Amino acid sequence: HGLARTVVTPQSGMDDWKPSPLIKPFGARKKRSWYLTWKYKLTNQRALRRFCQTGAVLFLLVTVIVNIKLILDTRRAISEANEDPEPEKDYDEALGRLESPRRRGSGPRRVLDVEVYSSRSKVYVAVDGTTVLEDEAREQGRGIHVIVLNQATGHVMAKRVFDTYSPHEDEAMVLFLNMVAPGRVLICTVKDEGSFHLKDTAKALLRSLGSQAGPALGWRDTWAFVGRKGGASTIGHPPCSIKGLGGAELQEMGWAGGQIGVGPVLGEKHSKSPALSSWGDPVLLKTDVPLSSAEEAECHWADTELNRRRHRFCSKVEGYGSVCSCKDPTPIEFSPDPLPDNKVFNVPVAVIAGNRPNYLYRMLRSLLSAQGVSPQMITVFIDGYYEEPMDVVALFGLRGIQHTPISIKNARVSQHYKASLTATFNLFPEAKFAVVLEEDLDIAVDFFSFLSQSIHLLEEDDSLYCISAWNDQGYEHTAEDPALLYRVETMPGLGWVLRKSLYKEELEPKWPTPEKLWDWDMWMRMPEQRRGRECIIPDISRSYHFGIVGLNMNGYFHEAYFKKHKFNTVPGVQLRNVDSLKKEAYEVEVHRLLSEAEVLDHSKNPCEDSFLPDTEGHTYVAFIRMEKDDDFTTWTQLAKLSNPCLCPTPPPPVPPYLGPGCTWQPPGPVEIVSEEEPLPGGGGPSLPLLNEEATINHPNFLGATPKGGGSPRSCRTDMRPPPGPCRAGYCVPPGRLALHPIL
Amino acid sequence: MLLMAPLQNASFSVFQETLLHLHYSITYGRMRSLYSLHKKEGWFRIAENMGFQCLKIESKDPRLDGIDSLSGTEIPLHYICTLASHAVHLVVFHERSGNYLWHGHLRLKGHIDRKFVPFRKLQFGRYPGAFDRPELQQITIDGLEVLIPKDPMHFLEEIPHSRFIECRYKEARAFFQQYLDDNTVEAMAFRKSAKELLQLAAKTLKKLGVRFWLSSGTCLGWYRQCGIIPYSKDVDLGIFIQDYKSDIISAFQDAGLPLKHKFGKVEDSLELSFQGKDDVKLDIFFFYEETDHMWNGGTQAKTGKKFKYLFPKFTLCWTEFVDMKVRVPCETIEYIEANYGKTWKVPVRTWDWKRSPHNVQPNGVWPVSEWDEVIQLY
Repeated sequence: HGLARTVVTPQSGMDDWKPSPLIKPFGARKKRSWYLTWKYKLTNQRALRRFCQTGAVLFLLVTVIVNIKLILDTRRAISEANEDPEPEKDYDEALGRLESPRRRGSGPRRVLDVEVYSSRSKVYVAVDGTTVLEDEAREQGRGIHVIVLNQATGHVMAKRVFDTYSPHEDEAMVLFLNMVAPGRVLICTVKDEGSFHLKDTAKALLRSLGSQAGPALGWRDTWAFVGRKGGASTIGHPPCSIKGLGGAELQEMGWAGGQIGVGPVLGEKHSKSPALSSWGDPVLLKTDVPLSSAEEAECHWADTELNRRRHRFCSKVEGYGSVCSCKDPTPIEFSPDPLPDNKVFNVPVAVIAGNRPNYLYRMLRSLLSAQGVSPQMITVFIDGYYEEPMDVVALFGLRGIQHTPISIKNARVSQHYKASLTATFNLFPEAKFAVVLEEDLDIAVDFFSFLSQSIHLLEEDDSLYCISAWNDQGYEHTAEDPALLYRVETMPGLGWVLRKSLYKEELEPKWPTPEKLWDWDMWMRMPEQRRGRECIIPDISRSYHFGIVGLNMNGYFHEAYFKKHKFNTVPGVQLRNVDSLKKEAYEVEVHRLLSEAEVLDHSKNPCEDSFLPDTEGHTYVAFIRMEKDDDFTTWTQLAKLSNPCLCPTPPPPVPPYLGPGCTWQPPGPVEIVSEEEPLPGGGGPSLPLLNEEATINHPNFLGATPKGGGSPRSCRTDMRPPPGPCRAGYCVPPGRLALHPIL
Repeated sequence: MLLMAPLQNASFSVFQETLLHLHYSITYGRMRSLYSLHKKEGWFRIAENMGFQCLKIESKDPRLDGIDSLSGTEIPLHYICTLASHAVHLVVFHERSGNYLWHGHLRLKGHIDRKFVPFRKLQFGRYPGAFDRPELQQITIDGLEVLIPKDPMHFLEEIPHSRFIECRYKEARAFFQQYLDDNTVEAMAFRKSAKELLQLAAKTLKKLGVRFWLSSGTCLGWYRQCGIIPYSKDVDLGIFIQDYKSDIISAFQDAGLPLKHKFGKVEDSLELSFQGKDDVKLDIFFFYEETDHMWNGGTQAKTGKKFKYLFPKFTLCWTEFVDMKVRVPCETIEYIEANYGKTWKVPVRTWDWKRSPHNVQPNGVWPVSEWDEVIQLY
């Protein structure tokens, strides 16, 4: 437009003004067009020609000037660039002549400018003007946000938030920070509140990073920090509660201990909260972070296929500890002992994963370390187009498949399961079974050995629904025998074997559609699907659920429920009497146990100590009343008893039919037989004393046994709420198993 | 599977290992693309160190195509290694549902040197292919132990007819977005029975050595929705009349499928119908070839009227359908459009075999004297 105006302005006055045929007037075109047309027709042809000539010459002139200026500018820029490289070169040489000659001319950036903002309701981090974190969502993202940058490239390698207002999150933060390789750039910023459960270990770690304000962080303070992970060391003690990980593994994960390396602080800002009810002022930290050379940022491992994988992984992501250690990296290939006569060597393993790459890393390590594992049979199915889980999969050289989500929440998980199972049987068309695992499970060293010894049952016994590695009732104080198996009337999940025919013929065709917001596992437990079939489980679980942050879990529940479960760590356990788990044999065994058992004195109050005699190696039986199949009120009351012999705390309500968990040793197992379904197979028990008096009665049996000596109240005082809502006599974690859809 | 041009023995040993590995893989079902090859990637490097130049063709895994929105690691399809004027072509066979082996198309992507080998002369890779899973035997050639198919002739005969086409999974998904899938109990029951009937028919015809393909509604179901149309009520197959064998009827009867009706005769308009379980019918149409088209016949039992259904000429390809390797016309769209017209994408629930097909023509009436022969109802 400017150019056009330059051309037309020299003409003075509206009357003489003749538009060039090439250049249309802009602003006033509409208003004046009629007038101009008329005027145009009146002007004589010569004037028009002259005007055109002048216009064209002027246009040419301007173009030439602009072009010449451009050429000159470019020349100057080039000559400047040519003068520049001298100091740049020196700098490079001082750094060890790393930059390739190609890059010298263009002047590589050696400094990152980093902005970190901390406030009550918003945090953000910008690196070189690019926002890498921005969180102003309401009621989420509270706590300390941590970002790890590659010290040579400035790439974001990890992004985490630790809600250190809540308990144990600081432990997770310590664990994470210790996993970060030395030399990395660390950025921390607080949103809302980050100090309430920031304990000493975490503060000491922050101090070791050189932070002044971090260790002194107070209630509702704002804090922004940029530092460098120092030394090759870690601080603090590994949380003792990480189950399933031995000392060696913790060490591998970076818990080597050792001297504290203080890293240099690159910038820090802090604002104290003036009062309990208010927040510190927002702080904005702007700082320059000098980049180090690529040489420093990378390790020099021997050039092997494995190390190439390791290198790809470690130059991209952070927070995986010693797998990326330069000096002594933890192995990424495991060669567990092969399993003699491995019946599950050719059974595909589907690992169902979301976006929890650290969990997946831990899970795959334990899976690949299990005896008899065949890595080529493993496929990791990632729900979503996430990169980092895929990086973890590639690190271990496994097959990964991403599933672009098509639904929301529970239905999404459910659709992901369906796609994963279908894909598994497509990829392994010969397979008769598939092992289904989740990303937040530790796998016992004898997981495959356990399956190898029991999988024939699934082939030979139609009354079986699955084999599961998890015993819901396998608490520390109830599970004893690694060689013992049970049948249960449910589908525990958490590491299980699915029969292809069951999936292809029954489940897949009627799998819940995306619009039905059902949990796949709840659906699988519905009577329409399970159809009275049972699952085989071990007494001591072969899987351990370590995940806390998931769709259906909260930390409190996890602690109350999963932490108290036993997990087998003994390799090569020989399972006992596996064939006695087949339906007929099992029923015979139950009959035998019952007929040999001594019936407890039902006239006694179950709360009395003497209700259960303190003898060893003796089986007792008690009867409870159930009004209908799913009436577990009596059972629940009984299970809550503080009587440590009957069912010690935490109270695990079990299915009436042979749920393990109420066995105890010593002195010996108790069979709890329900009146409604006294025995498997529908046959009535040929036992004495099966009458009203001999049955522990009704929901409020405590009050309903008036003869009882002990005060019912004394029983109840020790009661704790059950760990979760119960259905079908089974203790189910809230959310995870949720409510039975048909109830 | 390894195919090679003459090669010096010294360099052969590298590939012998590969060969053994691959056959081992096929035999034990271990050639699960990624992992084992990654582990065995060693041979690739060794070959290159020996002076071979190697080319690797990878592609996405077709076994995941049938499932909504899955994307996985690519699988290896072909390796070609050259040394001097010799070339070794390694074709990776993957297991597919339906007990068959599949190899991929050797597609030359942009950056590949088109003169690396004379690609047109390669026996495998022009199209994807499907083969019966061969049993293998170990033999010794020039002192080297290798595995070859137990029945090499059968395998070699399969090669020229091995072209495979994939179902159009993406279009099928789009179809189901528009016309929701029927998941009623009845629909599921029909699909199950139809699948079992098709499996039984395929087994029976294979035993007889009779080629067949999916025809009419069954073919439309495959092409349009990669599945069985639940309201189609029968399973339709096509057979070339020159493949007709007199013991077809007895073979089906032995398999538990009694003859329901027989129309026409071998010379003209033959059509067989067998009664499957659960009221699902198996219709077999015999196709007659003319110079410029193919046709099959129809007969109205009541009136003895004859009908003719015309198709443009077609060849046969393998595909995968309800966990089976079956044939379909390679020129499927022409076949379907001849039969159902351009609107084949729209489901039609009421169908009159005498009027609805796009390609039906009246074809006279059977002489009454022949009725006993050409109209047999059971």
